[in-house]
Amino acid sequence: MQQSKTSMNHKDLPQFAVLQLSGCAGCEVSLLNANEWIEKFDLVYMPLVVSAYEVPPVDVLLISGGVRSDEDLYNLRRAVRFSKKVIAVGTCAISGGVANLGNRDEVRELFMSQTERRDLPRLLPKSQPVDAFVDVDLYLPGCPPTPELFMAALFDDKEFKPSKTVCQECGRKKLKDMKPKHLTGFQRGEVDPDICLINQGYLCIGSSTRGGCRALCTRPGHPCVGCRGPSDMLIEKDSKAWLESIQRVFAALTDIPPEEIREALVSPQLALFLFQFSDYAGTGRPLRSKEKVL
Amino acid sequence: MTTLTFPLSRIEGHARVEIEVRNGEVLSTRFQAMEKRGFSLMVKGVPAEQMPVIVPRICGVCSTAHHVASVKALEDAFGVQPPPLAGTIRELLMLGQLIQNQATSLFVFTMPDRLGVESIFHVSAEEAGKDVQFNIARRALMVRKLGTDLITLAGGQFIHPVKAVVGGVSSGVDSGKAAAFQQRLKVALPTACELVDMYWDISLRMKDRIGTWGDDQPAYYITSTRPEQPSFDTDSIRVMDPAGDYCGEYTAAQFHDTITYEETDYSYAGRTSYKDGVMRANSLARANMTRRMGTKLADGYLKRLREKFGSPAHPILLFDLCRGIELVYAVERAVELLALPLDEEDTDVPYTPRDGEGWGLVEAPRGPLIHHYVIENGKIATGEFIIPTVHNMLAIERALRVAAERYITADNVNMELERAVGRVVRAFDPCIACATH
Repeated sequence: MQQSKTSMNHKDLPQFAVLQLSGCAGCEVSLLNANEWIEKFDLVYMPLVVSAYEVPPVDVLLISGGVRSDEDLYNLRRAVRFSKKVIAVGTCAISGGVANLGNRDEVRELFMSQTERRDLPRLLPKSQPVDAFVDVDLYLPGCPPTPELFMAALFDDKEFKPSKTVCQECGRKKLKDMKPKHLTGFQRGEVDPDICLINQGYLCIGSSTRGGCRALCTRPGHPCVGCRGPSDMLIEKDSKAWLESIQRVFAALTDIPPEEIREALVSPQLALFLFQFSDYAGTGRPLRSKEKVL
Repeated sequence: MTTLTFPLSRIEGHARVEIEVRNGEVLSTRFQAMEKRGFSLMVKGVPAEQMPVIVPRICGVCSTAHHVASVKALEDAFGVQPPPLAGTIRELLMLGQLIQNQATSLFVFTMPDRLGVESIFHVSAEEAGKDVQFNIARRALMVRKLGTDLITLAGGQFIHPVKAVVGGVSSGVDSGKAAAFQQRLKVALPTACELVDMYWDISLRMKDRIGTWGDDQPAYYITSTRPEQPSFDTDSIRVMDPAGDYCGEYTAAQFHDTITYEETDYSYAGRTSYKDGVMRANSLARANMTRRMGTKLADGYLKRLREKFGSPAHPILLFDLCRGIELVYAVERAVELLALPLDEEDTDVPYTPRDGEGWGLVEAPRGPLIHHYVIENGKIATGEFIIPTVHNMLAIERALRVAAERYITADNVNMELERAVGRVVRAFDPCIACATH
């Protein structure tokens, strides 16, 4: 059988690498759901799918996962030195993500006393995002970012304009006369398929969360937990501004007492989960400029 | 003494193999899981009802299994029985997971070993050989994406699903979307079979080159699928002994009474054993412990396997072939389920949360997965995750020893060992993010 080698002349293609730090590989799995890149890029390093043991100099370096071990830190610092463009992908790499649950002191006390091993990468005191250590050219938040977002980042697609908020992409109807008096329990009760989740008393923060995910969670009825981080309106402000924005939305759409909302949003017990995905600004690090966030 | 270190790629997560050798004698073979995030501690204090959305983040490859196991653990604690429709939709979720996982393991992780390339994205026509069709990467990604899209259809979000909830699922599946997706699966099924056929052929050729399907001893097998036909939304674990006799059936809550779990100081992952014996979980365990697959094409492949290798079969490279059978099964089974009415109202039942203890079990692609929670004041006091990969840890290390002894002599180390290490580990398809969690 005669075969051509049309698309696999790798030498002429721009090269990219994917460095996975401590994470769940969900970002990598998402990337593998896109195939537009196969003939346009040479994937030179991504241990999940390629046998290669060092990040070579590349045009684009995608970094997923948080910096959890000394090995993560070593690999990160070495990889960025020879990369033309560094993109932090996923919530863990950008704002800590679910690993922030482990950064609570009561967890660290147990963790540090129970994880002694020999001859293995040592664990750092906390899990940290990538830009705590190196400069990042572009942030691609999401848990994980959709394949569409990956492609827009990889191809540097200037035409790609994600919606401003998840709310805009959700399409559920907001009702003026359906005002719950209290928050509905997490994931509990019947969900009306067409009406705004806030009208139904769910703690949904899609109104303040960056769009681009096509409202994958809220459409089937799960409140937005903010994995894409704050929208452009809020990303250059501190987390207080973000909290206030969410509270204003609930004040307009519900009769839930403001204290109840505030408690839910800031209490580590009630919203432990919610803000692990969202806390861009509460860390003392410089705020990210919206031009650098896709 | 010499220590040979082999970093691993084309598996989920960070791991390496260390082999200690003295004068040609293999002293030890160790599998080291090299990352840890600490989920069992991280979830302390988390409101119990948030667990189904937090735990998928243990692993983006196995997220769906964690999502469903978590919901089942909470249902056990709260004393809730979900309606049948929810069970069907959860089974669809698990099938989506199985398609995605087996396609990834077969075509992305292990096919390069059979083609002698770094990755399927680096297969040129020359390297692939004249009789292997080109554009493997595109077709492989197309098939694995069916799994992801099925997870999206049944579970909402595409990597970390959200639709399984305590008491059922948050909504059904729209009939139009179900029909369209069923059609897509039907169209893709021949492509999946072509890839599986090609995989068998190149595996046969690899066997001719290396001279073995794996010569490790038989082991205990563990699965939670049913004896008649695989089901991945399950309620008990079965064990088969190395001779092929059944030696027990246990609930998730009986786990610690029957299976020994221990940690080592050289890996962030634990390991298990049954009556001091080595166990194997994953595709070969399921194939050995099921009467049939229950779908037409998959049963054909199972017959082919049994005619050639008998049942139970033990060579470890058969894990890979069994994944192919399961890939075909999952597509066929999903086609069947999508023909059922899935958009009816009765998707969940009300419940009242309460404190207590709950165990949730599912058969993940890598074997039985258990979530165990103790809930106090509505929050997680203890979160325990018993991960399928840990059941294979001793089996991996024993098989590595067999490979090491095959390729190491007093005079030299045959560098085929490097490839053998990769083949052995990938046959078990370990998941390090899960195993260390």
